[in-house]
Amino acid sequence: MTSARPPKRTKSPRLPTQTLLAKIFHWTNLISLFVMLFSGLQIYNANPVFGGRSGWNFPDYLTLGGWLAGGRNWHFAAMWFYALNLLWYGLYVMISRRWQKRYASGSDLKALRVSQNAKRKNYALHRLVYTAIIPILVLSIASGLAMYKPASLHWLSSLFVDWQTLRTVHFIAVPIFILFTFVHSLLALRVGSIHLIKSMFV
Amino acid sequence: MSKSISRRQLLQWSGLSSASLLLNSCGSNLWSKEVGQAIEPLNQATQALLLTQKPVPEYSLEQIEPDKLLINTFAQTPQIDPAKYRLQIEGEVNHPMQLSLNDLQTMPLTSMVIQHVCVEGWAAIVQWGGVRLQELLRLAQPKPNARYVYFKSADGYYESWDLVSATHPQTLMAYQKNGQSLSADNGAPLRLASPIKLGYKQSKWVTQIMLTNQLMPKTGYWEDRGYEWFGGL
Repeated sequence: MTSARPPKRTKSPRLPTQTLLAKIFHWTNLISLFVMLFSGLQIYNANPVFGGRSGWNFPDYLTLGGWLAGGRNWHFAAMWFYALNLLWYGLYVMISRRWQKRYASGSDLKALRVSQNAKRKNYALHRLVYTAIIPILVLSIASGLAMYKPASLHWLSSLFVDWQTLRTVHFIAVPIFILFTFVHSLLALRVGSIHLIKSMFV
Repeated sequence: MSKSISRRQLLQWSGLSSASLLLNSCGSNLWSKEVGQAIEPLNQATQALLLTQKPVPEYSLEQIEPDKLLINTFAQTPQIDPAKYRLQIEGEVNHPMQLSLNDLQTMPLTSMVIQHVCVEGWAAIVQWGGVRLQELLRLAQPKPNARYVYFKSADGYYESWDLVSATHPQTLMAYQKNGQSLSADNGAPLRLASPIKLGYKQSKWVTQIMLTNQLMPKTGYWEDRGYEWFGGL
């Protein structure tokens, strides 16, 4: 049997590609998260987590909704897009078995410790960072639900010790997500240059 | 000339980008009403689905947070003479009633230690003592078509609840707070108290309870200004 292999293309390096579903997830996550963030700061201002009524307020240009009721409208609308987006993506990652290949594993941890290859180390760090954000995304939904429905979901809100702890845990998501957006983008640039970022959005 | 046109075009394009639409709406309430109207039916259906007549777990007396319950009032604090006070129960009921404070206090007292959650974001663990609204409605006998309960207050505040939430076993017409008689600031002589609704649903100084078969155009003081009507927890 003679093999009829197509001639090897050796010229241009293969550009990174992403599945359409991964792109949809990224867009929906980014937009809904920023709506959650700005409307969340509006809600924050009604009674600051730190300091209560005499606490420091975020400036108006960082808030969405105009006042508390408007902020809540945006927040409790965007939560559906944010949470359901994460849910279907989680199912997709499970069913397609992407979790076996696309997320941080023991070999990444090992590479970070022992590898002499800078590229491999960057890649491992990139995977580790974007894997670590997933539990944070889930935690912000859990803490949000616990505050939104503390009576119906009493079992959930009781996991957060008390109300102030619950509010603090939910609020901490804001600096974490902002920091993550920067670090994740920088690491993606270092690992795959602008091509990698472009591949995830267009 | 051509330069200024291209700059104008550039501004138009940037104005059309979704990012700047988002930024423009920051700090204003642009669309927030429409967003609320679009999503509230879904949020309300979800809350109604989560609502059961099962009591919400309560706290112990040691967990009460006396300093955390803040006072919110939209107008002035009415001073009501307890001797002259009457609670009217009317509307879609078979037995309209008028109850004095003494009538209410001779009925079975229910005490609960629950978390009071304000729409502003704070919460306080409070003990409330009073009569179950369920019990009052049992005496007044709602007609089969009754679906909503309106509460009118001495200060002009008004609220409306769904009948299911109103008959929850932890929805009280309370005259005690943290083991003592209710103070005027907290709604004396009688106020609503419940762990299943946000604070603005829990009217103070209630003088009238009216059952209706439909929601009227005005659903509540804060609701008419933009807050969600169901306000369930």
